Amino acid sequence: MTTPPSKRPDGDLPALPAGLGLPWLGAVVVAPDETVLAIGRFDLDADLRFSDGWIVLTNKRVIADEPAFAAGGAGRAGGPRSWAIDASTRLDVQLRSAVGRMELSEGDRTVARWLFTPAKAAAIHALEDAFDARLRGPNGLTEPDNLRDVRQPAAAAEAEETEEKPAAAATRGLADDAGGTGGWASWRALFRLISFAKPHAGMAILGGVLSLVSTAAALVPPYLTMPLVDDVLIPRQNGREVPFSLVWWYLGGLLLAALVAWLLSWLQTWTLAWVSERIAAGLRTRTYAHMQSLSLDFFQGKRTGDLMSRVGSDTDKINIFISVNLIDFASNVMLLTLTAAVLIWLNPLLAVLTLVPFPFAFWLIYAVRERLRRGFARGAVAWSDMTSVLADTIPGIRVVKAFAQESREIDRFVTANERVLEANDRVNVVWSFCGPFVSLFSEIGLLVVWACGAWLVFSGSVTVGGLTAFLAYIARFYGRVESMIRMVPATQRAAASAQRILEILDCKPTVAEAARPVSLGRVAGRIEITGVHFRYGAREVLHGIDLVIEPGEMIGLVGTSGSGKSTLANLVCRFYDPSSGSIRVDGVDLRDVDIADYHRNLGCVLQEPFLFFGTVADNITYGRPAAPREKIVEAARAAGAHDFILSQPLAYDSRVGERGSGLSGGERQRLSIARALLVDPRILVLDEATSSVDAETESIIQTAIDRLVTGRTTIAIAHRLSTLRRANRLVVLDAGRIVEMGTHDDLLDADGMYARLYRAQMKAAEEAAAAS
Amino acid sequence: MNTPPDDPATFTRDSPEGWRLERHSNGRLDLIDAVGRRHQDVDVLRAFPVTAPAGPVAVVAADGGELAWVESLAALPAALKTMLDRELAQREFLPVIERIETVSDTEPTEWAVDTDRGPHRFTVAHADDVARRSDGSVFVTDTFGMRYRIPRVAALDLHSRRLLEKLA
Repeated sequence: MTTPPSKRPDGDLPALPAGLGLPWLGAVVVAPDETVLAIGRFDLDADLRFSDGWIVLTNKRVIADEPAFAAGGAGRAGGPRSWAIDASTRLDVQLRSAVGRMELSEGDRTVARWLFTPAKAAAIHALEDAFDARLRGPNGLTEPDNLRDVRQPAAAAEAEETEEKPAAAATRGLADDAGGTGGWASWRALFRLISFAKPHAGMAILGGVLSLVSTAAALVPPYLTMPLVDDVLIPRQNGREVPFSLVWWYLGGLLLAALVAWLLSWLQTWTLAWVSERIAAGLRTRTYAHMQSLSLDFFQGKRTGDLMSRVGSDTDKINIFISVNLIDFASNVMLLTLTAAVLIWLNPLLAVLTLVPFPFAFWLIYAVRERLRRGFARGAVAWSDMTSVLADTIPGIRVVKAFAQESREIDRFVTANERVLEANDRVNVVWSFCGPFVSLFSEIGLLVVWACGAWLVFSGSVTVGGLTAFLAYIARFYGRVESMIRMVPATQRAAASAQRILEILDCKPTVAEAARPVSLGRVAGRIEITGVHFRYGAREVLHGIDLVIEPGEMIGLVGTSGSGKSTLANLVCRFYDPSSGSIRVDGVDLRDVDIADYHRNLGCVLQEPFLFFGTVADNITYGRPAAPREKIVEAARAAGAHDFILSQPLAYDSRVGERGSGLSGGERQRLSIARALLVDPRILVLDEATSSVDAETESIIQTAIDRLVTGRTTIAIAHRLSTLRRANRLVVLDAGRIVEMGTHDDLLDADGMYARLYRAQMKAAEEAAAAS
Repeated sequence: MNTPPDDPATFTRDSPEGWRLERHSNGRLDLIDAVGRRHQDVDVLRAFPVTAPAGPVAVVAADGGELAWVESLAALPAALKTMLDRELAQREFLPVIERIETVSDTEPTEWAVDTDRGPHRFTVAHADDVARRSDGSVFVTDTFGMRYRIPRVAALDLHSRRLLEKLA
């Protein structure tokens, strides 16, 4: 047995090292030449009950808590057991369902089996890798990672929870969370939105000032009615001579005040609407731009309809809130304060009576606020679900029709729509109750003031004019209180929307731009893939890939479906980062490069070419919008697309639909090749570029691809092995590992997996030829 | 503009690259390439009719293959240029909308317009088929792929502009 490579001197670990969080300190003693390679944890026992346990791998033994199965029966309870390992020992990990299995076996005999949930998979896989690497000598590629795991097991265990799947975490962040954070959270969300008003602070302040002034102006009229009654009408009624011109004066004053109030409130409404439109537009742009900066896995975990509804409908709700309700709120607060001051100044006793309904109103707000927010959040989620049905079925309409499932899709929509209805009904019951309830209170308040006022007039301490003015103010006062109460639902609705938008804004890209990104400029195209592991969730799909691709070399990736070909290509494109190991381009780790800068060096031709809504020329120049027309035509010619483009009604200016409808699969593919050619990439990724077209089209596309790959570092994935004839080397992947590598002839000679695949395809082709 | 002789002879023009165009009295256009091969009934079309109407022109065979490419008509000998211009004008029937009388409210929209070729009615499938361009012009494509041009929206009368605003 090879001694495991170690940067640590052997023998400085007389017992299992402390600080690893192991529960068996002192119970296990390691031999002087024994080193700990990896530590894993399992969490299920034989009856599939949760039960935590540890597994430690050294170069000589596996030490672990009681396994689910052990040859020779269970050991004594409590203590760890150990199994000696040698070159014939195997460690197999299987994770096909929610229960993972790790088996230690000697030849055909299973010695022990541990069960675990996906939460522990990362550490178990690391353990497996360390087990496989222990025989591989000093260059064991997984070595550094395993050491890292051993040194920071607690941190690694923590990380399992959060890091296991970035997308899962992101999805959780965006969960359809109808309840949860309450209280001030909704206000915090709304306050954060205020930052979007900063660029328009001038207009916002102007709007505020206008509110103040127009509110003040609205308070003048009732004040003028007081002298009108007391100094003109009542003296007149009592038979005194009063010049009628005074009436005109007062009425003129009232009219003027009304006009000023109207003008100011018009200006104020317009100003704030202007500001709120811009805030909402800024919010939409920020949200969309942020979404664009997020990594691919964000979008894979998300339903298009949900995102669309967040960017569209939720920002609109906030717009309405700011433009309508926030203005009301500001002017209401001001008006209430001013009116209260006037009321107290007019008559403190009546003013206090006026305030009687207030505590009830506040109690009401308090009681319904949280219920409303939850209700509106539920409504927004239901709305998202409904949009999702649309975003799902409209692009898939051909499948719907082909299987005659129209009525089923309608049912699906109706169900989603009914959920919207139900969610809205529930919240409507609450807020529709509030308004009339407050009206009732204000009516009662008015009655109290009338009664008290009448008594005061009788006792002579208040004039009729004074009472009239007072009642006019009170009417306004209660009107404002009512409108403030009505604002509660609107606020909660906006708060629910604000939270949904902030959820997107708070998502961090999992493929993060380096703190100080290295600008690559134009690369030579040397790609070094070193010890790359990659996990989707708990499932590890790449188990240590090592591959060096020289500049200008074409590599063909071969393997069955699910062997990890596309994953490897995605990693080279840096759509994801490897779970461990590194990918270097021209010697620079991809994690350190400027992503956009790197992508400018990269061309991609995918199995399903995506064409954007726009003209043929727009689609070709997608990666290089400023390309001159000669270059567009040149690229189209090289891609074999020129002739069919000329046959379109408007040649290069012909519009292609959302998904390139109107063009055949081969034509779309040639457009996407032209697109890749135009950016003149140094590194090219061809992912099943020809697998969706017929043989004749394939040969046209193949010619175009041959032109495309010349002089470029190319990674080509193909099921049809014939399309890889120009590859310098073929790399055969199986279950996430490189199993063979070499030229076509080498691999046929080796008579391994490639030879099997090749013969199978040749046979199929012959049969097809014979049949036709 | 010089008119080709009507009957029965043909009218040929040479290009700098060595190919010739030959126009028959029946309107058919042939191209004789540099090695003398004759391609019958060819088609002349602009590669970027919308974005660069003055830009490259292609001569394509009846089955669609490209036969000749002219980067810019302006650089051609005058006679050949005139001939190509004529052919293009004939193939590119692009009426100019001068006034929009009515546009129905629901999609697909029925249009009644006055064009420089006289009054016309057509159907537009979708608002996307009314394409505004940054120079203030608008291209309308009807359900048959026929195109109409409005060179300057601002120059239309108020009634037409209002109708157009409903769509794009």
